[in-house]
Amino acid sequence: MVDFARVQKELQECSRDMEASGIRVSPKSDNLAGLTGTIPGPIGTPYEGGSFEIDITLPDGYPFEPPRMKFVTKVWHPNISSQSGAICLDILKDQWSPALTLKTALVSIQALLSAPEPDDPQDAVVAQQYLRDYQTFVGTARYWTESFAKASSLGVEEKVQRLVEMGFAESLVRSTLEAVGGDENLALERLCSS
Amino acid sequence: MEDCSSGDEAYDYSSDRDSLDAIENEEPDYPGVSSKSSSTKVITKESLLAAQKEDLRSVMDLLSLKEHHARTLLIHYRWDVERLLTVFVERGKASLFSEAGVSMVECQETNSVLSSSCTIMCEICIEEVLGDKATRMDCGHCYCNDCWTEHFIVKINEGQSKRIRCMAHKCNAICDEAVVRNLVSKRHPDLAEKFDRFLLESYIEDNKMVRWCPSTPHCGNAIRVEDDEFCEVECSCGFQFCFSCLSEAHSPCSCLMWELWIKKCRDESETVNWITVHTKPCPKCHKPVEKNGGCNLVSCICGQAFCWLCGGATGRDHTWSRIAGHSCGRYKEDREKNTERAKRELYRYMHYHNRYKAHTDSFKLESKLKETILEKVSISEERESRLRDFSWVTNGLYRLFRSRRVLSYSYPFAFYMFGEELFRDEMSNDEREIKQHLFENQQQLLESNVEKLSKLLEEPFNQYADDKIMEIRMQVINLSVIINNLCKEMYEYIENEVLGSIQVGNHGIAPYKSKGIEKASELSVCWNGKVSSTADKFLPSDCGTSGKSEQDFFSFFFLDFYNLEE
Ligand SMILES: [Zn+2]
Ligand SMILES: [Zn+2]
Ligand SMILES: [Zn+2]
Ligand SMILES: [Zn+2]
Ligand SMILES: [Zn+2]
Ligand SMILES: [Zn+2]
Ligand SMILES: [Zn+2]
Repeated sequence: MVDFARVQKELQECSRDMEASGIRVSPKSDNLAGLTGTIPGPIGTPYEGGSFEIDITLPDGYPFEPPRMKFVTKVWHPNISSQSGAICLDILKDQWSPALTLKTALVSIQALLSAPEPDDPQDAVVAQQYLRDYQTFVGTARYWTESFAKASSLGVEEKVQRLVEMGFAESLVRSTLEAVGGDENLALERLCSS
Repeated sequence: MEDCSSGDEAYDYSSDRDSLDAIENEEPDYPGVSSKSSSTKVITKESLLAAQKEDLRSVMDLLSLKEHHARTLLIHYRWDVERLLTVFVERGKASLFSEAGVSMVECQETNSVLSSSCTIMCEICIEEVLGDKATRMDCGHCYCNDCWTEHFIVKINEGQSKRIRCMAHKCNAICDEAVVRNLVSKRHPDLAEKFDRFLLESYIEDNKMVRWCPSTPHCGNAIRVEDDEFCEVECSCGFQFCFSCLSEAHSPCSCLMWELWIKKCRDESETVNWITVHTKPCPKCHKPVEKNGGCNLVSCICGQAFCWLCGGATGRDHTWSRIAGHSCGRYKEDREKNTERAKRELYRYMHYHNRYKAHTDSFKLESKLKETILEKVSISEERESRLRDFSWVTNGLYRLFRSRRVLSYSYPFAFYMFGEELFRDEMSNDEREIKQHLFENQQQLLESNVEKLSKLLEEPFNQYADDKIMEIRMQVINLSVIINNLCKEMYEYIENEVLGSIQVGNHGIAPYKSKGIEKASELSVCWNGKVSSTADKFLPSDCGTSGKSEQDFFSFFFLDFYNLEE
């Protein structure tokens, strides 16, 4: 049985500092075993400005067994499968400790985006490119971020306008949109819940 | 007598045993065989705990450690006390401990017991719990008992009993086994037992010098050897095996040679080769068709003619060199070269296999004869005669069995040693030829003497007059000595002259023992002088191999765990 009491507390803790971290965890449904995590692409990387969605499944033994996580948003990275979104990260496998949380795991994934480990690749093609032709790698990663990790092709002004039309203050709309990496839906959710 | 034959290749050699005992009283011609207590030990279910404790004790005493720390170290160093101590001497205590996950925080707060008056915030379940509902490990990390229990259960079920790490992230410390046992048994007594069994069996499974007896059905024993893994042993259940590869005893063949040989015999790959070389499937009905004569046009019983070289269907109109309307362009000579080679290989294999088989077959026949021969002995013993001692017969029989085995295994040895598969580039052709020649001389000499001995023992000596018996007796004793020496020389020759000069691969061979395969003796351990007096108080004096149940022993584990502190 998943320790749902702990998951509840984790979710509360997580939403408390969402502003600062930009990391979000929300249940898919009433059943807390399936969740969705969102991490902003780290600044100064080809993932900057993107918002990456991660599918989270909690095994029965959670937190004594690691959560299962994979990218829903397509991402170009040596340790993440460009096909399936599978993540190669030690703390999601044998280095998992019950003292870690969903948030710390997501923070580690975010750190992985900043510091790829091409010697222990999940996606061999990407890893090859990273090692042999770094410039092309950066280009592709950035292109994927633009294409898949940004909410829509709508310009920011249009998003602001639509949200303001729903009755939110313009300054709040702008800061919220920024915090969630330009994702209109995320911004709306956050505006509604605040 | 056919009590433990397992499979076709494993013959019943257990009969060696009975005669072995008989050899003890006579025969001054076996040099240097100090009898009784062998260095090879049988570890039974009952003595496993004692055997393990012996090693634990020595490490606990030498490094003044608690038992679970000693066990963690020993598991990490695969129960190699010597290596563990070497690391200790060379790299110091700190590195020895940290490598194995033993944390030596000199705890201010006495281990694990916390007061019930304070509360503790468990970082795992994020709940406040009373101090007595939480446990602090040696590394200093403290969590509530429920969380520890869950963690232990998950790890035991994952099969990680031997190294359950602390729950804290990046903490490498191994959890105190007493805490694990205690907490888990409260919720899952059966799982706690499983945990104990894992720990106990680590002594066998992680230990280079200990192996489970490979008998089937398993006798429950393990065998511990002293210093050489390349040896042949006999378990107390009567099963004889090669300690290094766990198959039947096979010296002077090396383990690798034996493995290859068994596989070769099983696959009958040469036969398969023969069929592919000598027959070809008919392109019409697919039955194998054998080539007949030198002509390359062959015809199947179904009436189809085809080209032997390419297997394609053809008409029947042909000459010696070509078939009308058919051109296949196969290079004829290459084919024939391959055929030649395969044929040569096959004949070579057959040569060795026939001799190997002849000796194993003789061994089986002679084993059956044993009863008859021993009967002759008892008849003779009852006769009014000045001859009373017939131990020379049993000794002779034993020598016969022993040397038959050496002879039969010497053939697969020669097959690989002087063949091209393993040592092709290790010897020049001349060298190989000389060595092979010398080896075969030894082999033939041994063979002829063994056959002589076999004949002598089959004589109806119970019907003979005393003089004649005395004569046979002398011959048997002489032959036994000669044969024993020849076997010894063969092993020495292999070790020093043949394999000794080769650096490739791992071809350790169990040494020749005149007295045959060593019988492991029962292990008996008792806590004596070496054990610290503190521990003595809490340990039973009749421990060792007595009939105490494991459960009893574990309660002692507990006792001395808590009392060793002081
Ligand atoms: Zn807890
Ligand atoms: Zn710890
Ligand atoms: Zn056995
Ligand atoms: Zn072997
Ligand atoms: Zn046919
Ligand atoms: Zn012809
Ligand atoms: Zn042809």
